[in-house]
Formats: sequence, C-alpha cells, structure tokens
Amino acid sequence: MKVTRRDLLVWSAGAAAGLIVTPVPWKLLDDTSIWSQNWPWIPQPARVPVEMKQSSCTLCPNGCGLRVRMAAGWPVGVAGLSTHPVTRGALCPLGFAAHQLNWHPQRLRTVRHRGSNSSWSEAQRAFAKARAEGPIVIIDGYPGRAASSVLETFAQKQNGSYRVVEGPETRALKPYASWSGVPASALGYDLENAETVISFGAPMLDGWGAPGRFTRLWAERAAGRSDPQLRLIQIDSTLSRTAARSWQWISIRQGSESTLAAGLAAALLEQKLVPARGPIPAVSVDEAAMQTGMTADAIRELARTIVGRTPAVAIAADDNPSIAALNLLLGAVGTLGGIVRRSKDAVDHIAAGDAISSARAVLIDASVPWDFIHQTDAEVFRFAAWDGGSTKADWLLPVPGFLEELTDVPTAPALAVETYAVAPSLVKPASEVQSAAQFLATVEPSLIPAEKIIHTRCYNIFRALKGNVHGDEITPVAKFASAQKLEAQLWKGAVWVGEASPPGGIRCELKGWPAAPVLGAAENWSALWPAPVLPPLASKLYNESSLREAPDRRTV
Amino acid sequence: MNARYGMVIDLDRCTGCGSCMIACAAENNVPALPQATARTGITPVLVRKVSNGAEGSVRREAFIPIMCMHCEHDTPCVKVCPQQAVEVDKATGIVMQMPQRCLGCRYCMTACPYHARYFNWWDPAWPTGMEKSLNPGVAVRMRGVVEKCNLCHARLHAAKEKAAALGKHEIDAAEYVPACVEACPTNAIHFGNLADPNDPVSIESRSPEAFRLLAKLGTEPKLYYRSKESWVRALAEPISAHSSEVQHG
Repeated sequence: MKVTRRDLLVWSAGAAAGLIVTPVPWKLLDDTSIWSQNWPWIPQPARVPVEMKQSSCTLCPNGCGLRVRMAAGWPVGVAGLSTHPVTRGALCPLGFAAHQLNWHPQRLRTVRHRGSNSSWSEAQRAFAKARAEGPIVIIDGYPGRAASSVLETFAQKQNGSYRVVEGPETRALKPYASWSGVPASALGYDLENAETVISFGAPMLDGWGAPGRFTRLWAERAAGRSDPQLRLIQIDSTLSRTAARSWQWISIRQGSESTLAAGLAAALLEQKLVPARGPIPAVSVDEAAMQTGMTADAIRELARTIVGRTPAVAIAADDNPSIAALNLLLGAVGTLGGIVRRSKDAVDHIAAGDAISSARAVLIDASVPWDFIHQTDAEVFRFAAWDGGSTKADWLLPVPGFLEELTDVPTAPALAVETYAVAPSLVKPASEVQSAAQFLATVEPSLIPAEKIIHTRCYNIFRALKGNVHGDEITPVAKFASAQKLEAQLWKGAVWVGEASPPGGIRCELKGWPAAPVLGAAENWSALWPAPVLPPLASKLYNESSLREAPDRRTV
Repeated sequence: MNARYGMVIDLDRCTGCGSCMIACAAENNVPALPQATARTGITPVLVRKVSNGAEGSVRREAFIPIMCMHCEHDTPCVKVCPQQAVEVDKATGIVMQMPQRCLGCRYCMTACPYHARYFNWWDPAWPTGMEKSLNPGVAVRMRGVVEKCNLCHARLHAAKEKAAALGKHEIDAAEYVPACVEACPTNAIHFGNLADPNDPVSIESRSPEAFRLLAKLGTEPKLYYRSKESWVRALAEPISAHSSEVQHG
C-alpha cells in the first residue's frame, strides 16, 4: 500500500485529535505546573531535624516565655511557653514572627558614623575622647537587667548619669511612687485578685503589660459572661479593641479621663459608698458630667457598679494622678487586688530628661525605642539591632539581634510579684555586633561582665530560699541542692517567681486632689515595640487585613 | 475509627489581636511580600471585624477568624476542581489542597462560599538569609496555585510519625494542635475530633450558642463558632447582610 501525502496528513490530524482524549497532554500540563513551581532560585527549607529550646523574649521588657524550634542552628518557629507563670503560653502577635527579624533588610551589621561605614575601633576612640572631655549620659529602656547594671556602674564610675525611658505601665504607677516614696519599679497591680478593673483608656486586652497576663485572666473569668467574676469596665472615647470586648464600655469625651476620675470620687463620697480617705475632689458630679459627656446619673451609677464587686482597681493609660487618687479613695492601694509593693529592693530610676542637654556624649542602649527624641548637642552613640531610618545619632552601633545574646529577664512592668529568667544565646550572633554593655566593658575593663552578674543573681536567689522555679514542674527554691542546679534550670527556660508581698507596704500621703495632667495620645503595643522595624509577617496585620493601622515610621 | 477534625471558635473571647494570622503564616512558610494587599495576600486565617451596625455608645464589635470551613457534604471546592487537586481526606475529614495538582484555574475560589481560598500570585521570596527561618516541615508556597488552611497538616504528619515510632496506631491528641489554636492568647480557638461525641470540641459544637456560617447551604462545615451575643449569632446568615469591614478577593 502506498502512503500518500494525504494519508500522512490524515493520520497526523487523527493522532492529534486522539491525543486530547489521552492523559498525556494533561499530565504534561500538570508536570509543567510542577516544574514551574520549583525553579532552582526558589528557596526551599532545609530538611533537617528540629529541636525545641525554651527561652524568654527580650524584644521588650515583658519577657514572654518562648518555645523556639531550632533547625540547623537557626530558629524556625516561635510559640509561647505554656509553663511560663506570667504569660502562660501567650505572645504578642509580632512575637510569632520575631525569628525573622535577624534577617530583616534593615538589620544593622556594621558600625556607621554619620551615614558612612566605620569600625568599632573608631567608635571606641571617639567614645574615649568624649569620655575624657565631659560628662556621659547613659540611657536605658529596659532597666533591671544585668546589662543595665553594667551601664549604671559605668555611669557612676564616670561621674555621669544613668537615665531610663519607662513604658506607660510604669509611668502610670509614678503618682503612688511620689506620694509614698516607694519606687514605681517596685509597684505592680494585683490583677489576679481583682474583681473589678476600671481601665481609663489603658489597652488592657491589646498589649497592656505582659501579653497573656490579663488576657488569660479575662478569658477565664470574664469573656462572654453576663455577670463575670472579673468585671472589665473600659472608659474610652472610641470603641477600642479593649472596649469592644469589655463587660461595660463607658464612652466619654477624649481627654476627660481625669475629670471622670474626680467625678467618680465625688459620686462615691456623695453616696457614702466609701469612707472619706484623703482629699475631696474639687469637681462635682454635675460638673464632671458636663465635661465628660456622661449624665450625672450615669456617673453615680458607675460609682455604685465599681463598689458593687470588690476588690476594684482603676488603671490609667499613663501617668495620671487623678486616677491614682481615685484608687486611694477606693482603698485599692496596698491591698489585695489593688496596687501592691512587689519588691523591697527596687531602686528608683530617674527618667531621661534634662541631664542629656548638658552631656558631652549620650550612649543610648538598644532597648530604648528608636524614636526616643533627644534634644542635645552631645555626641550620640546609638546602639541598635535595626536601622529605623532617620536618626539624630552620630554613631549607629550594631548589637546582637533576637536570641543572639545572653541576657537576663527581670520582672516585667506592673507585675504583682518578682520574677527572674535567663535568656541564653540560642543563635550565633551576626559578625561585628556588640551590646552597649559589651562595648563599655572593652572601654572600661574593670566592669563586671553581665554574665558574671547573672551568675551572682542566680546565687542570690538560691541563697534567699524564697519563691519557686517554674519549669516543667514547679520546684521551691529551698529544694534545689545547689545554686548551680537552680541556675541550670533558669538557663533551660525556667522562671523564678518570688513570694507574693503581704498587703500593706505602701502608705500614700496626698494633701490635695491632684490637678489633671496634660495627656498625649494613648500609646499601644505597636507604637511601643522597641525594635525600629517589624517582622515582615506583620504585613498580615497591616497590609492584608484591616485589623490595625500601620504604625508611623516603622517598616513592615 | 476515622476522625473528623474541626474547631469551635468562641467569638466572645476573640480580641482580634491577629496572633492566629501571623502564627499560621509563620508555620506554613507564607512569604511576606510587600506587593501583597488585602485582595492579593495569602491569609489562610483572616480575622474580620464585624459590628452590630449601630453607632455611638450602643455600637458593638466582634472579631471573626475566617478560614477554610472544611465542609463535609457536597464540598463546593472539591466539586468544581477539574484537576482533583482538592479532596476530603476520609481519615481526618480535612479538606486537602494539593498544590502539585492545582492548575490555578481558581474555580474553587469562586465556589467557596466563605472566600477562604487565596491565589498565590507571586514566587515566594524572602530577604537574603531569611530562608533559614523557614519551617522545615512545610514546603514553600508555590506561585500560580490556590492556597487555604489545611489544619496544619504537617503537624498531623509529625504526630503520626511520632505515634508510629512509639508503635501506636492513634496519635496523641495533644501532639496535633494547629498553629492558630496554639497561638490564641485567650484560648478562643478550640480544636478536636467532632467524630468523638465525648471530645470537648464535639460537646461544645452541640451547644445552643454554637453556630456555623451559612449553615443553610448544607455543606456541613466542620468549623463552628459560638457566642452568647444574639447579634453575633445572626452573622451565621449571609455576611453581606451585615456590617463587615474587611474586603478581600
């Protein structure tokens, strides 16, 4: 049989038509999709065994307990540590992606001097020159650490100044400190025993204090209950995230929190709901109603609600003496479920302020928020792990990043008991990084290194025989055979918790009802995030959902 | 006995913090691409803010985490997939997405009544070095395919491997917990086996306060919500009838 050109064309067309009903083209299409999805330049995670480590987060002073999944020496996942006595497995949203921060494009890796690359030796020379010429001011944003002790000791040896930048939770405790003489860093809120919490704009469910501390209490004792064991009353001018979930949201005019506190005090006294303790507010209930936008009856009703379930404690968003005075009237100072003294040893720190302007040089620790503004002509040595953009600092000095440095974790702000943990270095630090404490140790070799101070602190806890160590199980300190064993537990992620202070210990003397402070805009956790950059996955919050508005000046 | 994994999310406990969204993305190696928006990003868990529609002091708001509902009956995405890239795993009840089979036609996205599926528009990319932080148990997200929640299937595999190593046939329930459940700071998300009538989640799903979104479609979603608030429970009906402040594609 002769094969013609026509036959060839017919067979080819038939084969082409027949091919469509076979799996071949579909399989090819499928394979193509697989090939195109696995280009060699697309990163693939390393197939290596994963091990679990425990530590504490050091990105802010709340020191959340961490479970870190490690693969090939790098952290590949972060979760909360359920055995942590304060955070109980909770983290802030950004903490879940904190392990990506060390590779953020804005990670500082070299010393920079006024925009140009420089070196550690040049920075040391410049610092030594400044040190010889005049006073040095050291600013710390996370006081109480072993590294803070190094900074403070250097400032003392130098006849310089050591100043701290405090968070809003600590600032809110300042009035009690000034009226009682007890340092604000020794005070805390006994929320665990409170039954009514009146928040004057404090973001109680949105980053106030250690993540998980109040949210866990609220979830267990309040959420979804019409008559909860823990009543959260949120006073806010807008329906904030906390207000949306509170037992009662009281809407008032913005900035009238102090007036409402005074009005509530007047209503409490007018109705004889509390004994007259301390000064009488100058504002009447009617005047408070005019200024806050509430009715006088609503203020009186709120006063009755507050004393309806005690202990009740009022919490200010920031330093607000009127709200502190309301707590005095409620008898919530030095009592169970109120403001308590957690420590006898804490020292008062001076807030960063005037001393800076007269300094020859200012050294700013990495724990200080990036946008801390320093009006000074002094030479500024700014330590940071990430470059947050525009800065007035002369020197940018790279420090170890997330989990790259051994540090200790003192008591978080506003806690009612003392805690202590150790965050060991789990990750090999990036090259050429030094913390401020390490830098000062090279300048002044007589300083005791932070590691030794941590060792001494662990020994002191062992020697005091007080409190418990919370690890996989809770062990009283008295049961540890040696300080080394206790320290080893802390290095593995356990947390020491001191004994609860007995009621009393704070005696406030207040002569007149305090004047209303001038309040700035309320702060929240995202604005207070000490790192100048955010983990890239924060984009889920800021770009890909409408849950939050992106904080200014931060890079997502 | 086959499992039917599901969740009950207590909306009265959800504070809308977004921890579940970030923990999910970190667990599943979702890249954080700067070009991604609310319409184009991959958010296997997306927390929506909803309100009762009122204004002023009577306004109330709540937060609803939306993810794949793992529909059990007439699963819409399974029915429309031309590639058999989606199937309901009979052993677990999980609606599985197989990216290797997916051609990216997006029929499933159209069919999903919950808008819980996302198209991956871009090759995954991370800043230099950040690939070291990827979860070794999960592949990176491929371009050109559809993504969704798979109830952290890699964690289920790990739990199975662990059980097998111990010579067990059943996994320990504590070993398999999805990332969003683990991350929730208020324990609002409860996960368990709905096939077990004594499982706490199964019991909770039968509570009078429990409801499912668009239940009348008859797809039998395995994701339940619960709330004491009647206006929140009313959201079980078509979401467009209520105030929703998040848009996505």
